[in-house]
Amino acid sequence: MKQLFNIGIAGFGVWARGVQSTDEFLQARKTGFANLQEHEFVNPKPSAIPPKERRRAGLMINLAVEVAHQACEHAGVDKSLVPSVFASAMGDTAITDYMCRKLARPEKLLSPTKFHNSVHNAPSGYWTISAENRAPSSFVGGFRESFGAGLLEAGSQAQAYGTPVLLVAYDIANSAPFHDIEPVTETMGVGLIITDAQTTSASNLAVASCAYGLAGSTEKTNRTPSEDALSTPENSALNTLASANPIGGALALLEMLAGLDDPDDAQGQTLRFSAAPEAYVELKF
Amino acid sequence: MRASLRADRGGLSAEPWPDCDVDCQLGRLQLPATDSISASRDSRNNRTIAWALAQDNFTQSVTDAIGRYGTARVGLVMGTSTSSIDRTEVAYTALDDAERFPQAMRQPLTHNPHAPGDFVADQLGLGGPRITISAACASSAKVFATAKRWLNQGVVDAVVVGGADSLCLSVIYGFHSLQLVSPEPCRPFDVQRTGISLGEAAGFALLTRDVAASECVLLGTGESCDAYHMSSAHPEGLGAQLCMQRALADSSLQMKDIDYLNLHGTGTRANDDTEGRVCAELLSSNTLASATKSWTGHTLGAAGIVEAVLCLDALSTGFVPGTRNTTDVEADFSLLLDSQQRTIKTALSNSFGFGGNNCSVVFGKT
Repeated sequence: MKQLFNIGIAGFGVWARGVQSTDEFLQARKTGFANLQEHEFVNPKPSAIPPKERRRAGLMINLAVEVAHQACEHAGVDKSLVPSVFASAMGDTAITDYMCRKLARPEKLLSPTKFHNSVHNAPSGYWTISAENRAPSSFVGGFRESFGAGLLEAGSQAQAYGTPVLLVAYDIANSAPFHDIEPVTETMGVGLIITDAQTTSASNLAVASCAYGLAGSTEKTNRTPSEDALSTPENSALNTLASANPIGGALALLEMLAGLDDPDDAQGQTLRFSAAPEAYVELKF
Repeated sequence: MRASLRADRGGLSAEPWPDCDVDCQLGRLQLPATDSISASRDSRNNRTIAWALAQDNFTQSVTDAIGRYGTARVGLVMGTSTSSIDRTEVAYTALDDAERFPQAMRQPLTHNPHAPGDFVADQLGLGGPRITISAACASSAKVFATAKRWLNQGVVDAVVVGGADSLCLSVIYGFHSLQLVSPEPCRPFDVQRTGISLGEAAGFALLTRDVAASECVLLGTGESCDAYHMSSAHPEGLGAQLCMQRALADSSLQMKDIDYLNLHGTGTRANDDTEGRVCAELLSSNTLASATKSWTGHTLGAAGIVEAVLCLDALSTGFVPGTRNTTDVEADFSLLLDSQQRTIKTALSNSFGFGGNNCSVVFGKT
């Protein structure tokens, strides 16, 4: 395992079944996420995007932009200045489905708007436009390991820039034919503000040292098997939700953050997220 | 590529793409038949990658780096826009009654945005951090920015950067829907320019902190967003200007220190106008500037790595590629038309993409 750098987490946003804001998540934790499954999923309508644009943008873009704004507001960072990293396992499968169905027909007519929304950095484009933000912004793909891969990249950027960095992770529920590729049965998006742990422009909810390690045989000998385990939410209702989306591991981090009264309360906790099929990113708080 | 440039052979042809009636010129690769790709990862994009990895002893160089640093210390930052969407398109033409792909095309490792990164990491046996950056046509320029951070911070000791995009119906009909595809070979910055020519490519570089052992160095990178429109560049080129300035600042250089500029230069009216305006303001008269998409076509997510490799070749051989097809220049800066032999010490490459995503990369000689 290789120690990389220290990171802070200064705020988060979330949109999933039954939890549609930072505050709702904090409240839901207090009641043990008791009623999550009683709620229907509601489509986000981020107020930063004009209604006509929202309709053209579609679910995934609206989801990403919504949690991006939430995370910035929770952390109190300047939306126009924060660099951003967007991460998703499957990208916008609704648009992929539209494009490929149209192209399978003889006339092959595509909507120009859908085409430009089909780039994987479309949520980044809508976010930067909505926030009037000209800072660097990327989409990072890591398939099933997208959240861990995105976390590593956002942490690295926070060190490089010495400013908070916005990490947005999301995947939308899919149906056939993508269900056979990677079944996603719950739509969810999570936004996090990652800092270099020393930054003064945002106060951290918690601070952790970030490490990268291989789960393969070469490093396994000195560790107990349980140390290989990836983090999942402790609450069973939240865990059910998390297991229905490739970026669901992020909810384990949100659950921990939501339980803190003070950054020091996190001390001693360790969370692990898959960053590649045989590798993980570890946060030791 | 070296041989084609020196023989003045462009890569664009009017040969039609299968099942496609768009009048266009394409920079298409003649990919060799291969049996080295497993069924779970087969796609045109991955075949393009396999073809590129087999060149110039690159795979051996990476194997040597793994031997030196250990597998967990060699990372990968891959850039792509199309990923393996070519394969998804084909799978959709064969949907069964239950709307499912045929069994042979249910390829989880292929139908997702990270397919190129996953494939390259598997082919090269990399154990370090690996991501696939997708930022449209800036994708494989941005890989240098992430790689530089990872090296500086000790996240890795060596990192493979690369880019791959392959021709497919999505991009041909997509750009056609925006009325940006030219029926003739693209003519960047020409008064008569009529749009882009699409191409496909894959390319790679291996970066380490061992500067002394290298002929060329990565001096700096700059990234920015336009925050203006999804598919139209900021009219004053604000984002383009920002990323060029950030790349220069990161390199501790000024524009007058840049010997060669590889322009984004796609050949559309609006893009060239915008970039031309920025260059007229920033460029000094001693900088050679050319738009090489006229040779290769616009390889989209691979354009960053292709043009980085062109810059590295110009630095190491002194062969500075010109701008093909363009005869009547419409730009307030000096555009290099004919390729030239000149010793250069610094090169800057521009890549601008949909979503208003921009990246500039500066290379130099040791």
